[in-house]
Amino acid sequence: MMRFLLLFSRQGKLRLQKWFLPMTEREKKKIIRDMTTMVLARKPRTCNFLHWRDLKIVYKRYASLYFCCGLEDQDNELLALEVLHRYVELLDKYFGSVCELDIIFNFEKAYFILDEFLMGGEIQETSKQSIAKSIEASDMLQETMEEYMSKPAF
Amino acid sequence: MPAVSKGDGMRGLAVFISDIRNCKSKEAEIKRINKELANIRSKFKGDKALDGYSKKKYVCKLLFIFLLGHDIDFGHMEAVNLLSSNKYTEKQIGYLFISVLVNSNSDLIRLINNAIKNDLSSRNPTYMNLALHCIANVGSREMAEAFASEVPRILVAGDTMDSVKQSAALCLLRLNRTCPDLVPMGEWTSRVVHLLNDQHLGVVTAATSLISTLAQKNPDDFKTSVSLAVARLSRIVTSASTDLQDYTYYFVAAPWLSVKLLRLLQCYPPPEDGAIRGRLTECLETILNKAQEPPKSKKVQHSNAKNAVLFEAISLIIHHDSEPTLLVRACNQLGQFLQHRETNLRYLALESMCTLASSEFSHEAVKTHIETVINSLKTERDVSVRQRAVDLLYAMCDRSNAKQIVTEMLSYLETADYSIREEIVLKVAILAEKYAVDYTWYVDTILNLIRIAGDYVSEEVWYRVIQIVINRDDVQGYAAKTVFEALQAPACHENLVKVGGYILGEFGNLIAGDPRSSPLVQFHLLHSKFHLCSVPTRALLLSAYVKFINLFPEVKGTIQEVLRSDSQLRNADVELQQRAVEYLRLSCIATTDILATVLEEMPPFPERESSILAKLKKKKGSGTVSDIEDSRKERNVNANANVNGSSDHTITNTSAKPPPSFACDLLATAPPPTNRPRPIPSSSMLHTPLTPLSPKAYTPQPVTPTVPFYQVTSSPSSDLLGLGNSSAVNSASPPTSSHAASLLVDVFSESLPVAALGSASAHVIEENFSRFVCKNNGVLFESQLLQIGLKSEFRQNLGRMYIFYGNKTSTQFLNFSSSVVCPEPLSSQLNIHMKAADPVLDGGAQLQQILNIECISDFVEAPVLNIQFRYGGSTQNISVRLPVTLNKFFQPTEMTSQDFFQRWKQLSAPQQEVQKIFKAKHSMDTEITKAKIIGFGTALLDGVDPNPSNFVGAGVIHTKTIQVGCLLRLEPNTQAQMYRLTLRTSRESVTQRLSNLLSDQF
Repeated sequence: MMRFLLLFSRQGKLRLQKWFLPMTEREKKKIIRDMTTMVLARKPRTCNFLHWRDLKIVYKRYASLYFCCGLEDQDNELLALEVLHRYVELLDKYFGSVCELDIIFNFEKAYFILDEFLMGGEIQETSKQSIAKSIEASDMLQETMEEYMSKPAF
Repeated sequence: MPAVSKGDGMRGLAVFISDIRNCKSKEAEIKRINKELANIRSKFKGDKALDGYSKKKYVCKLLFIFLLGHDIDFGHMEAVNLLSSNKYTEKQIGYLFISVLVNSNSDLIRLINNAIKNDLSSRNPTYMNLALHCIANVGSREMAEAFASEVPRILVAGDTMDSVKQSAALCLLRLNRTCPDLVPMGEWTSRVVHLLNDQHLGVVTAATSLISTLAQKNPDDFKTSVSLAVARLSRIVTSASTDLQDYTYYFVAAPWLSVKLLRLLQCYPPPEDGAIRGRLTECLETILNKAQEPPKSKKVQHSNAKNAVLFEAISLIIHHDSEPTLLVRACNQLGQFLQHRETNLRYLALESMCTLASSEFSHEAVKTHIETVINSLKTERDVSVRQRAVDLLYAMCDRSNAKQIVTEMLSYLETADYSIREEIVLKVAILAEKYAVDYTWYVDTILNLIRIAGDYVSEEVWYRVIQIVINRDDVQGYAAKTVFEALQAPACHENLVKVGGYILGEFGNLIAGDPRSSPLVQFHLLHSKFHLCSVPTRALLLSAYVKFINLFPEVKGTIQEVLRSDSQLRNADVELQQRAVEYLRLSCIATTDILATVLEEMPPFPERESSILAKLKKKKGSGTVSDIEDSRKERNVNANANVNGSSDHTITNTSAKPPPSFACDLLATAPPPTNRPRPIPSSSMLHTPLTPLSPKAYTPQPVTPTVPFYQVTSSPSSDLLGLGNSSAVNSASPPTSSHAASLLVDVFSESLPVAALGSASAHVIEENFSRFVCKNNGVLFESQLLQIGLKSEFRQNLGRMYIFYGNKTSTQFLNFSSSVVCPEPLSSQLNIHMKAADPVLDGGAQLQQILNIECISDFVEAPVLNIQFRYGGSTQNISVRLPVTLNKFFQPTEMTSQDFFQRWKQLSAPQQEVQKIFKAKHSMDTEITKAKIIGFGTALLDGVDPNPSNFVGAGVIHTKTIQVGCLLRLEPNTQAQMYRLTLRTSRESVTQRLSNLLSDQF
């Protein structure tokens, strides 16, 4: 299973963190620090895999964002790369040419999409259509925009 | 519609996020956040009830602040309120907040659980999914307790929507991982297995993950999944790339499901059913064939997905390890990848080949790629790929290619990344030892290691080389010569000085004939390094010097001069000062005979598993690499395995089981080395052991109370020389000051009568000793640090004692060693064999040691258990009297009244009887008394004594040489609170001893 998924920028700013096993805040901070320093220090065109403690780290850079996940020993690294890619595709489909700003301003959406795709560190649904459909369905449940706009900002 | 919902719903949130992004400094950001937190707090506390929208917005802001890395200590309650909102987006944000932020705050969990329960029973799939996600995200024990039975029900219910089934399967998997005890297998298991047949591939994918995990723990319960998985896999593999619609990923059919099915199959051995097996083999062949087909797309996603399946198939082939053709094909495929232009594939091929190298069928095939692997070690730009290459070289190494591989690793070490140097050093050291055909190569290799990467050579490595040199006399001369040459270098690593000091101190005489390495030259060479070294190394060098005094009397003056200098005698370091003082004194006072004995060459070390290997395993976690190494069968059966008998190091020490040794090696009384018999070195006349001194005259009496003893110690082990502690000291010399002191005192007081030294045993703890006379199990000793428990059993003249050492602290005990000492004359009356104990006793852990005891003849004294370990930087010594008492070798004898009195009369000589009258120390309870007599070992004879309140017992003491019958009578006088105990045996010493033992008990 995947233990965690992190999205961080080239400057090391964390954009999204998902932990699939309970962990103390201290541990999380340690992992975030180790991952950002390790991955950001990698030279271009090196391989996408690393060993860290007892985990396999798989990372990939998309534009200004690094997607980085920690896998257990028996997990398949290549497929994890495609998990990352599929997640990017899903974000892209939802936001339309997704960029880092989309994820910053709509972080809750990024989490919701991830939840449709992964659960407990395992793939829940791989079909892009199914995921898109269920996100669409939950968006339909939202109040209309006008309804929101009439509410005060603060 | 995404355009509508892109979060522009919460304008306030977007404004806040932009504000944060516009902050020019960290301080400004914190200021802005604090302002916002104050605002939210006041809103939450305000009188006006907040509407759902505002609550959602503020909770979302808190979430954002938390994700920025700030602590959030409020708002949980509002989030929980959102859970029960009937507006989807509010509920969703509530759940998100809980998933990200909730810790096991149990009050809150109860409220959350309520909300989850409602949503699970709502029959609205969207709500159910939210609830299941929340359970999986938090996954705490309380949640598992609340939902462990509900989730499986949802999973297998006939009317559950597919998407909910997927969530339920993974939610259950998550609960099983955290609290397997709460998720019992039930009637649902078989229905879960049948989800593998489900129409919906998403459901099958999720279910396969669940089944794989459950099957690892309970393979039998999920056996039926094998055939279903093979069938499903076969359908996917043979489908056209468009058959599976959206489950086809870049022209690869359901890669995720395929990989999961292949992973599931790795929980089981190859299917026994021939048809299923055939079908699976076909699948695997198809996957291997597809790898050769031209790619259907140039996209990296296509090749990744395809190769992901291929690598997983290869893992399964390796796991089955039964189809030679498949294994060889797998190996060839990986061989192609070794030279692929994709770095990722090269990396994975190296990694996969490591496991392939452990298979008997493919080991040779893997070896054919050695040049490629060596080449990647040299040319690969990515350090993580190079590291995999090192791993693979290590895994593929055997006797035929060891020299090449070790050479390549050594040359790589010169430029290796710092982070992996230590690991490479360990690997080289292990390979060099394991596949050494001649030990000169081994010595060269290790010295090279120290030269190239001295800082990364751990103690284990250099201890090991010394251990091997000491144990193998054919390499000692070469080692001395080589270290001597290596030390010529103007700058050499301290580890080399240590090895050099030790080896020259032991074997410098072997090269002293050459004027270029005369004793004086050797000494000056070593001493030229002295001032650049750390304290432990200096201490070792001082020991080497004193050994020189013994080896080369002609340099005695020079060395004494050095020892006498202020920088030694008044050294600020107490250890160095003490050594200098003692060595100087020793060299002045002791005769050459005593010197020769004290400073005798080290005895061989007992053979044991290389501690380097243990270290590598530890370093790698339960590292795959070394396991492979262990599991690999030696293939080159006839391939020069025996070219050189010396390659098998156990040979020298087949005689290692020590018989009682009375040839007192004075050094053996220093704790770490043990008293071992030594083979006479045949190679060197100089080293013919000096005539042992008469034990009577010179037996040293250090802290251990006695000598001559025969002691089978557990040596301090895996640290090879017993030098594991920080102030690592040469064990050729007295290692710790206290011992050093007592040793030397003994040398000086050689004329002291032996009897006077008996007081040394005063420290032996025996407070619990008498408790064990009538019973065999219990706690023998307990202190703040250590608890010693005993369990023992005796039969006739044999006994076995299990000693349990419990570390009561949370810190490791290092250099843990124990020995049993039998003072004269006990050593000839009892035979005790002890298996070596592990040298490391982890905090809170327990260690068991087994003692085999043989009673040769009757005895009075009891053996002493000496324990030594390092705790918190100081050495702890504990001596406890072991309750091995004569009565343990009793066999009860039943007899009639007539027999008893007949024998009683036969034993009427005055020296055969001992009578004692004593006051009762405990209450005079009949049942307890009976139990004690039985526990003492005799039979309790009923109706023998005319007075029913008296106790009568009979038994036979079994020893190897004699058997002694014993009759006893115990007469209580309850009024006076007195006992009279009468014992009769055929042997005066036995009667006396038994009487003393038993009278103490009442």
